[in-house]
Amino acid sequence: MFGLDYSWLADPAYQSWLVTGVINTLELAALSSSVAILIGMLGALGLSLRVFWLDALIELFVEVFRNTPPLLQMLFAYFTLSTLGLETTDPVTGLKMPLLSAFACACISLSLFGGALAIEAFRSGLETMPKAITEAGRSLGYSRWARFWRIEVPIASRVCLPSLTNILTNLFKTTSQASVITVPELMYYAGQIYNDTFRTLEVMILILIIYVVLVSILSYGMSRLEAYLTLPGYGKEQ
Amino acid sequence: MKRSEALIEIDNIHKSFGNFEVLKGISLSVNEGEAVCIIGPSGSGKSTVLRCINGLLPIDEGYIRVGKHRVHELRSEKEMRPLRHQVSMVFQQYNLFPHKTALENIMMAPIQVLGHERAEVEDRARKLLEKVRLGNKADSYPGMLSGGQQQRVAIARALAMQPEIILFDEVTAALDPETVKEVLLTIRELVDDGLTCILVTHEMKFAREVADRVCFTDRGLIVENAPPAELFDTPQDPRTREFLGQVL
Repeated sequence: MFGLDYSWLADPAYQSWLVTGVINTLELAALSSSVAILIGMLGALGLSLRVFWLDALIELFVEVFRNTPPLLQMLFAYFTLSTLGLETTDPVTGLKMPLLSAFACACISLSLFGGALAIEAFRSGLETMPKAITEAGRSLGYSRWARFWRIEVPIASRVCLPSLTNILTNLFKTTSQASVITVPELMYYAGQIYNDTFRTLEVMILILIIYVVLVSILSYGMSRLEAYLTLPGYGKEQ
Repeated sequence: MKRSEALIEIDNIHKSFGNFEVLKGISLSVNEGEAVCIIGPSGSGKSTVLRCINGLLPIDEGYIRVGKHRVHELRSEKEMRPLRHQVSMVFQQYNLFPHKTALENIMMAPIQVLGHERAEVEDRARKLLEKVRLGNKADSYPGMLSGGQQQRVAIARALAMQPEIILFDEVTAALDPETVKEVLLTIRELVDDGLTCILVTHEMKFAREVADRVCFTDRGLIVENAPPAELFDTPQDPRTREFLGQVL
């Protein structure tokens, strides 16, 4: 059809590359998203404490990671972290190898990038917290920490869920840049396959479809979560 | 150290917001089981007094004692915890947690803050919902309840902490006229039960019926402090007379 040749898909080697690529992409996305969300919450908590030096530190972090290309961040993480000289000995082969693999570097860099964006999202969520809610929590004897986890986070995360969905889908797509530092995820194997088969267009179309499917599942899941968490009597509930 | 036998003792407290001095030396004592209403024009510092009593606002100067707690000396939220256990507060805007059901709103703090056992707290919470006549609304979220119903849940939430004192901050000011009655009825029952209450209110008729004592505040001072019949019928201070002339 249209002169496209997908006969290479029958090759078990390519099939297993694709499967491994998808699994690694999912792992990378899941790990860095989780850490990014945690960074976002803690950063927003830090900002809400209104301590001068902590504010400055968090702001600096956000500015650096939000205003530079994620690809540059990833290369930067890869080349700095791998030259730190952190090494470990492989228990099987007995060879020296860097403690932080390319996968770990990609994970760290993506977590920080997503985290910087998530801080902004959670901050806006916390800022819309009515003072009355905070006051009620205090009057019931909640400590700052307990108030944050038990009252403010559950309410604020509902408020910032739409922007969090954007951040997570973006982060998912940005995982493809890990191919540049040799992390064997979907994009990396795509390159391997078309270098092998010279079927560049066919491979790209397939990879495109896989990303569309994966990211659609993610955003569908997030919209279901949003609907599930909608507060009865508030917001866009029917 | 107590200066008197009163349950709550406030002596010459001052509080400023920026350059504006809201409280200019308020003194008040409240005995156990007493219901005291604070009335006065807006901006006269009524709500600020309540927030100082349970430590939500630190005072600049003065002495506040609630039971054995010297509130003006408490610094951290942790030090405040026993005080918050003893003193509950009900707010003008109800301030329920929107992500929890009515029952959960009532159960949260006793379990999470006081560390009471869940089953016992649930039993207590259900009884309190019955008491405020909302036994059938246990699983409703605040957003599904009317203002009056939310306010009664908020009262049940305050009671679930098993406080000795409840502070009511203009609790009917945001309500529709027809729901004001049900909330006032609930409060009246608490006063009749002998709970110590301080109420900031604009409901003069209610203050007259329910209070043991009424304080009139104006511009950061308690201008007049007397039993309701006396204060409403034979006000001594010209400012009290002027205010009552406007609202009655």
